[in-house]
Parts: sequence; C-alpha cells; structure tokens
Amino acid sequence: MSAYLVSVLTEGAIFGIMALGLNVIWGWSGDFDLAYYGYIAVGAYMTLVLTIGPAVAPAQYILGLTLPYPLAVVIAVLCSMAVSLVVGSIALRHLRGIYFSIVTLGAVYVMYVLAGQYVPLFDGYNGLSGLFDPMGDWFGLDYQSYQYFLMGLCLVLFVLVFLFMWRISGSRFGMALRTLREDERAAAAFGRDIYRLKLKGYVLGAGVGGFAGALFVAYLSAFNPSAWSPVEIIVLYAAVLVGGRGNIWGVALGVFIMGLIVQESTRFLPEVPGHPQIVLALRGVIIGLVLVLFLRFRPQGLLPERRYVDAQPKLEPDARPV
Amino acid sequence: MNEALLTLGFALVTASILALSAVAFTLQYAVTNVANVSHGEILTVGAYAAYLVHQRTGSAVAAAIGAALAGGFAALAMHSAVIGPFIRFGATPTIIFIATLGMSFVIQNTLVIFFGAANVAYTLDPGAPMHLGPFLLTPLDLQIIASAIAITFVLYLIISRTKFGKALRAVSQNRELARVTGINATRVAAATFFLAGLIAGYAGFILAESVGSFNPYFGFSFFLITLTAAVAGGLGKAFGTMIGAVLVGIILEFAGGYISASYNLAFAFALLAIVILVRPRGLFTNARRTVFE
Repeated sequence: MSAYLVSVLTEGAIFGIMALGLNVIWGWSGDFDLAYYGYIAVGAYMTLVLTIGPAVAPAQYILGLTLPYPLAVVIAVLCSMAVSLVVGSIALRHLRGIYFSIVTLGAVYVMYVLAGQYVPLFDGYNGLSGLFDPMGDWFGLDYQSYQYFLMGLCLVLFVLVFLFMWRISGSRFGMALRTLREDERAAAAFGRDIYRLKLKGYVLGAGVGGFAGALFVAYLSAFNPSAWSPVEIIVLYAAVLVGGRGNIWGVALGVFIMGLIVQESTRFLPEVPGHPQIVLALRGVIIGLVLVLFLRFRPQGLLPERRYVDAQPKLEPDARPV
Repeated sequence: MNEALLTLGFALVTASILALSAVAFTLQYAVTNVANVSHGEILTVGAYAAYLVHQRTGSAVAAAIGAALAGGFAALAMHSAVIGPFIRFGATPTIIFIATLGMSFVIQNTLVIFFGAANVAYTLDPGAPMHLGPFLLTPLDLQIIASAIAITFVLYLIISRTKFGKALRAVSQNRELARVTGINATRVAAATFFLAGLIAGYAGFILAESVGSFNPYFGFSFFLITLTAAVAGGLGKAFGTMIGAVLVGIILEFAGGYISASYNLAFAFALLAIVILVRPRGLFTNARRTVFE
C-alpha cells in the first residue's frame, strides 16, 4: 500500500467523522450552522495543549500538560461540547434560518480571531505543534508502521461513529430531530421541547466534530489558524449535500465522492511555475460549483433520505375501522 | 476630548464606505428577500477593476467608473445566473443563502487563479492632512465622505421619485402583489441588483484606496462588517441601514482606536449577535417593511 493511499484513507476517515457530526446539525435538525469548524478547531487545539507539555519561550499557550492521548481526546471533546452549548443556547433559542446562520458565522469568527490574535491562548498565528505519533510508543511502533496504525485507528473509529449514528438515526431522538426540521410547530404541538431537543442535537454534533478535530491533530501533529478557516466548512457541507442530507449512508458516499473530487480533479493539471496556489484555488472553484449545482438540481443528494410516511394516510376519521 | 473627535473624524470615513456597502446589500435583500453572501466579492471585483483601469489609464475617475461598472455587471450576473433561477425554482431563503456562500467561494478562488492570493498595494496620493473644524482629514478622506453623501442623495431620489423606484418599493413590500399589478418583478430585481452592484463596486474601490491594499479575500471580511450594519439597521430598509452603518462604523473605529484593531471583526460580531438577539428586526423598526420609511 502506497504512502499516498494511507494518507488519503486516514484523511477520508477523519473527514467522514466530521461530516457525520455535521449531518446531525444540518441533516437532521435542519440548521445551517457555520460555527461547526470552530468546534473541530477547539477539539484540535485542546488535544494539543493537553498533550504537548509546557510552552517553551517565546511560544506561549494555556495548560501545557502531558496527559495520555486518549484522556486528552475525551477532555477535548467535552470542551467542544461546552463551547457549542454556549453558542447553541444563544443562537437556538429564538433564531432560525439565516439569522441562526449569521449568528453562528459571528461565533466562529470570534473564535478564529481569538485563536489568531490572543497569543496567550494558543500562541496566535504560530499555532501549536509537537504531538508526534500519539500512542505510538505504547506499541513500540516506528514512523512507518505508525502511519498504518493511525489509518487503521481512524477507519475503526469512523465505523464506530457510523454505527452510533445509525442507531441514533432510527431512534426516537433521531426521529424527533427530523420533525423539527420538517415542521417545528407540529413538533411543539406534540409536546416536544423544541429548544432542548435542538440544543441536544447541536451539542452532540459539535462533540463529534471535536472528536474528529482531536484525531486530525494526531495526523497533522500541529495546528494553527492557517490550517483552518471558517469558510472551509463549505467542503463538509458539499459532502453532506452531494451524498444525501439526513441519510448517513449518503453522507459516507458524499465524503467518498468529495474526497475523490478534491484529490483527483486537479491531479492531471500541470504545475504552473510561480503560481503555487492555483491547484488549491481550482479545487475551491470546483467545490463551490458542485455545491451550487447540487442545491439547484438535486438538493436531496445522490442517496436521498427515506421519507417516513403515515401507514394509513388516506383514512378519514369516520372511516376508521372500529 | 480632542483625541475622541479625531477618532470620530476617521470613523466618518469608515462609516461612509460601510454605508455604501450596506445599502447595496440591503437593496438586494429588499427585492429578493435573500441575504447575498457573495456581496463582499462584488466589492473585491470592484477593487480589482479599479486597479486594472487605473494602471491602464492613470486616471482615478476612470478607475472609479470602472469599479462601479464591474461591480454592477458582477451583481447582475449573480442575480441572473444564481439568485433569480433559485427563486423561480422555489428554494427557501436559507438554501439561497448557502448557494450564495458557495458562489462567494467560487469567485474568491477564481480571483486567486487569475491574480494570485498575494496582497496588491493600491494607494492614491491622499494629499496633506488638514484641520477641518475639530477633525484632521486628508483631501482623499473628504472626497470619500462627499462621494458617499452624493451617492446616497442620488439613490434617495431614484427610490423616492422615479417610476423604477416605485416599482422597487412595490416589489420589496410584496412581490406577488407587485406582479399582479403588472410589474415585472424579475426585471425590477435584476435592475436593483445592477444598481446595488454599481454602488458596491464603487465601495470596493474606495475601501481599497483607504486601506491601501487588497487581495481576493478582502471583500469577504468587509462583508462581515457590512452584515452587522445592515442587520442593525434592519435588513431590507435602506434608510435604517444607513444609520446602522454610521453607528457601526463609529463603534468599530472607537473600539479599534482604544482597544485593538485586530479584534474589529470580533467586536462587529459581538455587536451583531446582541442586535439580533435583542432587536432581531433592526434597531429602527415599526410594523411596516418598506425601503424608505
């Protein structure tokens, strides 16, 4: 197996976990949340400050502990959930539609500016680094075999998250979230507490995002503001949309397709001397166009979510069998 | 006190640019009920057009006209290629919001392909700063403020006195009812986008001039502040948006001057979140939803 394939599979699995978390918020609960990449970043940053040890001047950041990686991941996920609880409890109470999106866009830019400008937090634009092969020495792995180990770990965790989402998808909670997307007032009429339900879904999705972020830094070993930008969330939205919003099989397919597009679309492009960003920019154009074209011509995605219909839709009250 | 007045002078420059950008955004919202996220890219396109025209002709006036025209046609293309078809297809405002976000991504990256991602330096000679009452402003600053006031006045005349303005107001109040009375709502919306694009393109030119440089992402970050001003003033209301822009411009300039300019974006959004949560329909609302109240 080539090193290229290993890195693609690892990235794909992490990207897939991110998309599954986003699907809870956008696919089921139906809110276009622009702050999601912020929760991924919180997971990534927190994992780093909990594992890489105290800061060496001139670098500065909070905590600087040397916890074992799995424990750091758990704490990082809890931090992501806590941040999303704050944002969600403000944004979800009264706001829907574009107003919700605008406030979450604001929230993620506040996080981004803080991470980039407030140096004592995560060392500003320099960012954090130094998480090398977490858990590698437990199993005595060298650099080469660690790449395989990480790929396997990410794939297994992707499958576990997928199974977890599969359970939720068919559960009463998952159904209830979907009713909020379709008709909030009807859900309220049936006695659902809309705000708490939406908030639960939001925090769950953000937790999964934070988890993906924690895995992402194990792969990248460093994280800084140029590694993430709030608008990059578009790639994740494109994946969820292309596959099929609300259907976890669709989300997995969408991640596969977008991964293929992102990786392969520009593979045969000749290198343009003196213009290093051209490949990345072309990918950006393709991703944006895919998003817009799918929204226009196939908003339900390639694998649409199964519609739940009433078993006896046509029955009039007086025609009901006694 | 003196320092505060100086800051207020600079704030007026920021507020002028912001007012033009926000009023263009709000006009687009008024006729389509869509928040066009790619609005910031119209400013960026305007800045690039101004730069290119200026290089060729060496004339700032030609650059301003070029910026406005480029912005106008960019906005018109955005309406006829993306927003209009989505509206006819019956997409919800949130779906169109996402689509325009996608288009903003496309335009940014297209600009990177053609011009590269690096900052382009673009400065006009600002002239010697002079004392004007309590303010210390350059002739360039004064031109920016004067042009913003002039454009606002012309816009006011167009909206309140012309037949097109009447149609615009009708479409913004009730699209269906306007159609019933024989107004071609799609054409009015397209014309409004062109008008808004002219203003936004020019705003991109003066923004680039007052900042001194620009890159493919520069309109997007200004869009975030524009959004704050437009929401504070009430989405879809030109007059309220103007006042919102002046307030936001002044608050940002003071916050930047006294605390730190790097947190400007965070301040703008904290302000936005507060406005949306406390007065979601803007600071100056009454029951009617019109362009000029």
